[in-house]
Amino acid sequence: MSDFDPASFPLVRHGNQFQDFEPGQAWNHHWGRTITEADNVTFSSATCHWNPLYINSEYAKALGHPGMVVNPMLLLCTAVGMSVEDLSEAGGPFLGVEDCRFLSPVYPGDTITARSVVLDKRESSSRPTSGIVTWQTTVTNQRGEVVLEYRRTNLVAKRREA
Amino acid sequence: MNGKVSALTGQGTYFEDFTVGRKMRHARGATIDEVENNYLSKAVVNTAQSHWNEHSLRGGSSPLGEGRVVFGLITGSMVIGLTSQDTAENAIAEVRLDKLRFTSPVHHGDTIYAFTEVLAAEPSPEREDAGLVTFKHWGVTHDDRVVFEGERTVLIKRRSHWGDR
Repeated sequence: MSDFDPASFPLVRHGNQFQDFEPGQAWNHHWGRTITEADNVTFSSATCHWNPLYINSEYAKALGHPGMVVNPMLLLCTAVGMSVEDLSEAGGPFLGVEDCRFLSPVYPGDTITARSVVLDKRESSSRPTSGIVTWQTTVTNQRGEVVLEYRRTNLVAKRREA
Repeated sequence: MNGKVSALTGQGTYFEDFTVGRKMRHARGATIDEVENNYLSKAVVNTAQSHWNEHSLRGGSSPLGEGRVVFGLITGSMVIGLTSQDTAENAIAEVRLDKLRFTSPVHHGDTIYAFTEVLAAEPSPEREDAGLVTFKHWGVTHDDRVVFEGERTVLIKRRSHWGDR
């Protein structure tokens, strides 16, 4: 075995760049995530979101739910998180979210997956080394019900042409 | 449940309390650090290492500044969390978010404060016991940088139907 030379190991790259996106293209994002009660209470606590819907099962039942409700901000963060490698990891700053609709409650134990479609790509007038991409993301539970939809826009770095 | 649901939430946050134009500066701020950004970004599967690799952004080469940059939706979630007791303690459901903007980078150690204005308050087309309130929120750092803006619509109980339940 040779001596360890880090320069001899090629980097395993993750993520996509501006040139990789075309309008209409769809991305089925990796992993999926079962949201647990621990996830929900930890997230709600750490973000000072002490609403009894998300931290008190008996209160949630009194409002007609089978138990504690998953904090919708945790649902949104997890959906965006699952999409990061495909859409924005190699990219640049998060610019905005539009028309984010929480369509159905999610409960601890539910498993969500996310899929995005490229809506638009355009040049950035202020940053020639990046472009702007907008995606529509649809988030589905284990029964195939759509629980969340939103549009996200990011600055995305361009691959340097050789 | 043992007792009334109305005993568990505040009395000043029913639909009737949100008049258009009302402004609120929320009392509590929160400092973003290891649990809030480093842990939660990983817990929500955000694979972008700029949120949790302190070394990756060292050296002054990034326009985002030195050190780990906070995931924008963690900042947004914190702002909404800081507003929640005053805006949504009597919520039935979060309905919609719109025009979310991440206007300046946030780093570990930054403290976030939250501000709210009521943009609209309308009957719910689906439920007579609740109404839809649309808020505009701002998140501001300890050094007065606006780092987050967004609109949020919440379905909120009417006191007339829920105040004594």
